[in-house]
Amino acid sequence: MKKLIKHKNGQFVIIAVLMIAIMIISIGALMHRAVTYYKHEPWEEYLTLIGAIELNSRRLVELSLANYTNTDSPDNNTLRINLEKWQTNLTAIYPGYGISLGYSDCFLAYDWNETSSSSSANATFSLNIASIGLTGYKFMAKVFLNLTILNKVDNEINVTVRGEEGIPISSLRNDNFQVSISNSTMILNITSVTSYYEPKEALIYTIKCSENITTPITVRVWDERGIQVRAEYS
Amino acid sequence: MTVINGKKGQMRIIEAILASFIIVFALSFANIFAMTPTSPKYEATELQKLGYNVLHDLDEQALLARFVYNREWDNITAALRVMLPLDVYFNINVYYLNGTKVNDDAMFYGNVETFATSKNIASVTYGLAGYATKINDTYQAIYEPRTLILQLVRG
Repeated sequence: MKKLIKHKNGQFVIIAVLMIAIMIISIGALMHRAVTYYKHEPWEEYLTLIGAIELNSRRLVELSLANYTNTDSPDNNTLRINLEKWQTNLTAIYPGYGISLGYSDCFLAYDWNETSSSSSANATFSLNIASIGLTGYKFMAKVFLNLTILNKVDNEINVTVRGEEGIPISSLRNDNFQVSISNSTMILNITSVTSYYEPKEALIYTIKCSENITTPITVRVWDERGIQVRAEYS
Repeated sequence: MTVINGKKGQMRIIEAILASFIIVFALSFANIFAMTPTSPKYEATELQKLGYNVLHDLDEQALLARFVYNREWDNITAALRVMLPLDVYFNINVYYLNGTKVNDDAMFYGNVETFATSKNIASVTYGLAGYATKINDTYQAIYEPRTLILQLVRG
């Protein structure tokens, strides 16, 4: 036993093994840190949550504009009232996240009965989510719909319908349009709505009515969001 | 015989045994904290992300609000079945703000028992603001929020 203890040949091996062990333990600690960091920061989930709030806040602005343009006595406060309710209800829908949604510069407007008419809405939002330390995330919801009557030939009317940033709205059908004689309750029967692409205006809709049209006429359009625009051609 | 009588290598053997113990200990220590992506600890978070993404994708395509407000429950089930992996079971319910359930029919896919027995059930909450519906040629655009609760489990 004494001989074994006095033996001095194995020192280098012990030192080498200890160093390897320290390295492995260090790598283990690093792995632990990396793994727990990932576990506590599920960013993708938060990004989708932010995306869901942003998307539905925008939908709310669209919904308010649809409501505003489809009532006989439009109320300018519709958007503000809806946004106030949305602010309160968000905390109930997503409890425990500490969500606070602020809004500013909100308005609803329309400019109708012109050859080129439009409906528009705007709101700027500021989102805070306390549980993830997100503060002051700003986003804007701009909603716009334009209807322009280009011309009228016999029983056909050519129009363009554009959304935000002038992007043409496609896939509108017969029931998205209504043609009537201005200053009258007479609604003309639409037999077909066709569309074609043209270099200048991009997408032109041709509304064909069952009878010859006398001016002035009023054309109404409702897009897929239910937003209405009323244009007049004389 | 010289091999048996030789005592010079004894200490090396003991050193080697000690070294292997240290290495095994270090590896097991590191293994305690290591969580592979398939670990159950990750599972709920992964399913949550999956659920959020699926609902968000449906909402971006303006399908989710249409299905919910027009009470197209079969379409919700069909859309989720298409968008989720086959081994992910789901159960989705729609609620009014006061917590009352909107859907009378159950919307789920998979084995109901799996939801009762699984330890890793992910729950996703998604809020909708409203939807403009056309009734008798006039659009009704009323603010009426709905809450969707999607539960996911791997079968």
